[in-house]
Amino acid sequence: MRRKFFGGLCILSMVLMLALPVGALAQDTIKIGVTEPLSGTFKDIGERYLDGVLYAAQVINEGGGLLGKKVEVVPVDSELKPDVATRKAQNLILKDGVKFFTGGTGSSVGAAMAQLAEKQNVIMFTYGMDAASMTGEKCNKNFFRPGGSTDGRSFALAQLVVKMGYKKIAIIGQDYSFGHEALAAFKKRIAQISPSTKIVCELYHPAGTKDYGPYVSQIIAAKPDAIFTPNWGNDLTLLLKQGRPMGMNQKIFDYYINDEVTIEALGNDSLIIGSMGAEIWTISMPTKKNEAFVNKFYKDKKRWPSYCAGKAYTATMFWAEAIKKAGTTDVAAVIKAWEGLSFDGPAGVWTMRAGDHQGQVPYWYTEIVAKNKYFKHAFEAPRGMATAKSVEVSLAETGCKMKK
Amino acid sequence: MNEIPVFFLHGLAYAGLLFLVSAGLTLVFGMMNVLNFAHAAMYMLGAYFSYSIMMHFTGQFWLSLMVCPAILFIIGALIERFLLRRVHKFGHVQELLLTFGLAYIITELVKWYWGNYPLAVNIGGFLGSTIQIIGITYPVYRIFIFLCAIFVGTVMALILYKTRLGIILRAAVNDSEMTNTLGVNVPLVFMGVFAFGAALSGFAGVIAGPLLSTFPGMAQEILLDAFVVIVVGGFGSLGGAVVASLLIGQLQSFGVLLFPKLSIALVYLLMAVVLIIKPSGLFGEEQ
Repeated sequence: MRRKFFGGLCILSMVLMLALPVGALAQDTIKIGVTEPLSGTFKDIGERYLDGVLYAAQVINEGGGLLGKKVEVVPVDSELKPDVATRKAQNLILKDGVKFFTGGTGSSVGAAMAQLAEKQNVIMFTYGMDAASMTGEKCNKNFFRPGGSTDGRSFALAQLVVKMGYKKIAIIGQDYSFGHEALAAFKKRIAQISPSTKIVCELYHPAGTKDYGPYVSQIIAAKPDAIFTPNWGNDLTLLLKQGRPMGMNQKIFDYYINDEVTIEALGNDSLIIGSMGAEIWTISMPTKKNEAFVNKFYKDKKRWPSYCAGKAYTATMFWAEAIKKAGTTDVAAVIKAWEGLSFDGPAGVWTMRAGDHQGQVPYWYTEIVAKNKYFKHAFEAPRGMATAKSVEVSLAETGCKMKK
Repeated sequence: MNEIPVFFLHGLAYAGLLFLVSAGLTLVFGMMNVLNFAHAAMYMLGAYFSYSIMMHFTGQFWLSLMVCPAILFIIGALIERFLLRRVHKFGHVQELLLTFGLAYIITELVKWYWGNYPLAVNIGGFLGSTIQIIGITYPVYRIFIFLCAIFVGTVMALILYKTRLGIILRAAVNDSEMTNTLGVNVPLVFMGVFAFGAALSGFAGVIAGPLLSTFPGMAQEILLDAFVVIVVGGFGSLGGAVVASLLIGQLQSFGVLLFPKLSIALVYLLMAVVLIIKPSGLFGEEQ
């Protein structure tokens, strides 16, 4: 009996907490919560993403804000844990009336945030969470991905590999959903556009593998003429660091090759020079708008934007366009305004497909070269692009059935 | 199957690394009955000190290979003298908690001083080159790791079983009160053992730097492997650590070749099998 009473009291007080602040809010800024790991192992990536959102807000505010209001960025340390991210976000929604969230690290965090967004009727968008399923079978109307997906990246790189005439490809990825999705999409695209190109070796290794020797020996034994991998961070560093000295000299096509932190951590440019990648934003994209953005960023901060910052910046500017078009911060109106909207930004024209909220974006190729104007170590040079149309996955294929 | 020799070499190199990492851990446990959770953190310190030394004295790998274990020896001695000895009388749980806490503190200090991102440790010269061995081009450094493990293992075995110091050590472990009454400074002996264990972890850290990545997560990553080695080999058994390292090294290497889908689980399967058949590990003493 007593327990029931306390239970009731708890629920009552929770209801009161929910009900009180919402009405009491004075809306003089447009708040955007950024869920990134701001502590722990992936802090560095989270901070580089946050950097881009902060800079976008700065640029918007310098230009007079959004709908006459300032944009206020609220960093949320997700600790890369879905439950932590959603708990903190829930607080922001209820206490501060935050209606917009973004984030780029951890597809699991993104999936949980997407669910929360649908439940609380706010908007979540991502510039860096790549698992194709997020705008596929798990899609919902409150979640947007202006950024890329494993499908888009793998398609772009498969097309590049074929265009450059490679016939025997080794593919290697991390043994979890991300690695499997990336390799599957790559194989699918190769089979579609060049049946004569053979996958001579397909390997999956645990994320965080320490000894790449046994994997590298299998790649070498298969005698490929190019290697494809979606590996990132340490799994990319060690593949190169241990593989190259063993004689794995093939050209490498990787998702995130233009990561200045990874290149610096290698400490030896010759391991990575010649490798190529495909990204939705790269610093060397030869568009007028990108040059303007990159130069202004450098002038303001005395350092170059990381690829994380560039992606987050461009996606946040796209979000701002949607709000401008809606003319209000009403969530339903913004969702409607964003669907089908095109944004001609630094990375070319991005279009938000209405059916699954997956941005249709071009992918920009880069090659790692020794001499560049950004860093003392090796970094990227532009190598053309794959149009959004060429890497499009039809809506029917995504498996998204959005309830509207 | 002309691949067999190269996979065998991979197995040996990885076994060498595993042994170097777990030798200090199993030594300290065998002698002092302390499960040192800070062991991997000290291994990380070794790697980071090595990075700093190689940055300052451009590429002086041999220098850091000598200096880092010495620094860790001192750190280990201080930890034993001023922390571990004080909590010893409260029992094993307190010792465990202490080393656990130390691991966290060291990790945070490393992040604070060296930064929360990976650092580049590369090796040049002969060690960074490749040689022709049984018809394969193979990196010298991987062979070097295995040779280091043989060296460390031999030195430890010689000290323990062939010197007067070894006799004192084993006596102190068997009956510390009796040894104390015989005029041996047992607390000093234990301090030495713990410091030597720390030095070994530092040595392993220096060796691991050029092969793996030097970053704040490296301690956690290796700790699990080291525990698997000493669980399979038997807690506190040096011979067990040797055999378990070799076994796990080869299992990892050939596992990837023969059962790629199972490669994550193979090592743990081995551990489970060993624990079912002989819960104290291959060479562990029944308690």
